[in-house]
Amino acid sequence: MRLSLGRLLRIFFQSLFIQTSWSFPSMQSMGFLSDVLVGVGEDKRAEIMKTQKGLFNTHPYMVSYIVGATVRAYDEGKASAEEIRKFVAVAQTSFASAGDLLFWRTLRPALLLAAVILGVHYGIVGPLTFLIVYNVFHLFHRIKGISDGYNLGWDVIYLLNKRRFKTVRQVFETVGALLSGLLLSLIAVEVNYLLVIPLTALFLIMLIKRYSAVMIIVSALLVILIIGMV
Amino acid sequence: MNAILLSLLGSVIILDKYALGEFGVSQPIITGTIIGAIFGDVWFGIFLGGMVQLIFLGGLPIGRDVPPDGQAAGIITVTSYFLLRSNNTLGHSLFVAAVLGLAGGILGGVLEIYARRLNEKLYARFIHHEENLYICHTAGLLTAFGRGLCLFLPIFIFSTLFVIPGIFPQVHGQTMAIIGISLGLANSFYLFVKVKTTVYLLIGGICGLALVVF
Repeated sequence: MRLSLGRLLRIFFQSLFIQTSWSFPSMQSMGFLSDVLVGVGEDKRAEIMKTQKGLFNTHPYMVSYIVGATVRAYDEGKASAEEIRKFVAVAQTSFASAGDLLFWRTLRPALLLAAVILGVHYGIVGPLTFLIVYNVFHLFHRIKGISDGYNLGWDVIYLLNKRRFKTVRQVFETVGALLSGLLLSLIAVEVNYLLVIPLTALFLIMLIKRYSAVMIIVSALLVILIIGMV
Repeated sequence: MNAILLSLLGSVIILDKYALGEFGVSQPIITGTIIGAIFGDVWFGIFLGGMVQLIFLGGLPIGRDVPPDGQAAGIITVTSYFLLRSNNTLGHSLFVAAVLGLAGGILGGVLEIYARRLNEKLYARFIHHEENLYICHTAGLLTAFGRGLCLFLPIFIFSTLFVIPGIFPQVHGQTMAIIGISLGLANSFYLFVKVKTTVYLLIGGICGLALVVF
């Protein structure tokens, strides 16, 4: 059983809108339903509407894996609606956690650090590098996720132990640490490092003590105000 | 006129934050480049966008959490700076742009919650009229676009018209760099530095200092 290129492209295009109607009670529910429906077709619409409506939330790039496996389950017609719902419930949390760790916590901040360092030193090279490298990983998961989800069915969940998640995260954690050190090269823009050291310590303590992000931004505002007045 | 066009552009770019695609185009370092190019000063656009990027590097949109809007802060800081610059000194313009940008980031987070509450109404409509799934879902683009417009338009009109009084503080690029680098270092230490990665931090630090010296 194979997924045609046309269906793959339709699911991929619709997956770009997965969070468009994000709301607190349903989260990505309408996005998920729309994506599954373009993959499955109109004949199963009533059944899907009846059984798959409800809260859905996962990492936006990882939804492809779940949609691929769900479309496969409807194509085969062997699994009951309850079984499909259970799979979706388990898969959404597993892929959400893997995607958050891989993209939001590791890959994106590491590549943004690289973009800033390259951008300050070499201009447009920094932003371009970020856009290209980030979207290679992003689009790989969006597109390969659909075909892997469809080919592996419910076993797609075991992919979370594979290299594309674990190794990439470990590599970018290392790259992130290296770039954190390289950030010191921005001292070349003639900043007063005697101010940078205590401020870094202050903000790091605030992060470790889990002060809210708003509080940290307000502190940054106050520092700008004080430096401006002095 | 410029303020309206820039608000429309900002509102389209901000769709990338969550409503459409999420390709990373709305990240401050990218929007700084785009807006800098529009105003003919790409390097300062990249620099300012980069500093805002470092300030918001740790804002992770995980689960239901809605952190301050770093993407909106980037668009507001860079655009306001270039708009203010035409009527004011560079130091004054940068100070007001930084304040507007950081405050706009916090306000953007609040507006995002309201936009998502509006989406609740779309979901409620879908529940009662299942045949309207695609219409209700796609209408989410309008709430996201409207959020951007509500945020950017008043700030950009203000930046176009405001003449900053002389008693206002002035800041320079170095001040933004101090805040950006400090928060960037704190955020990246918090995200990446563990016992097993300390050695890479040290290697990076030595390479960074070597880059400065040589």
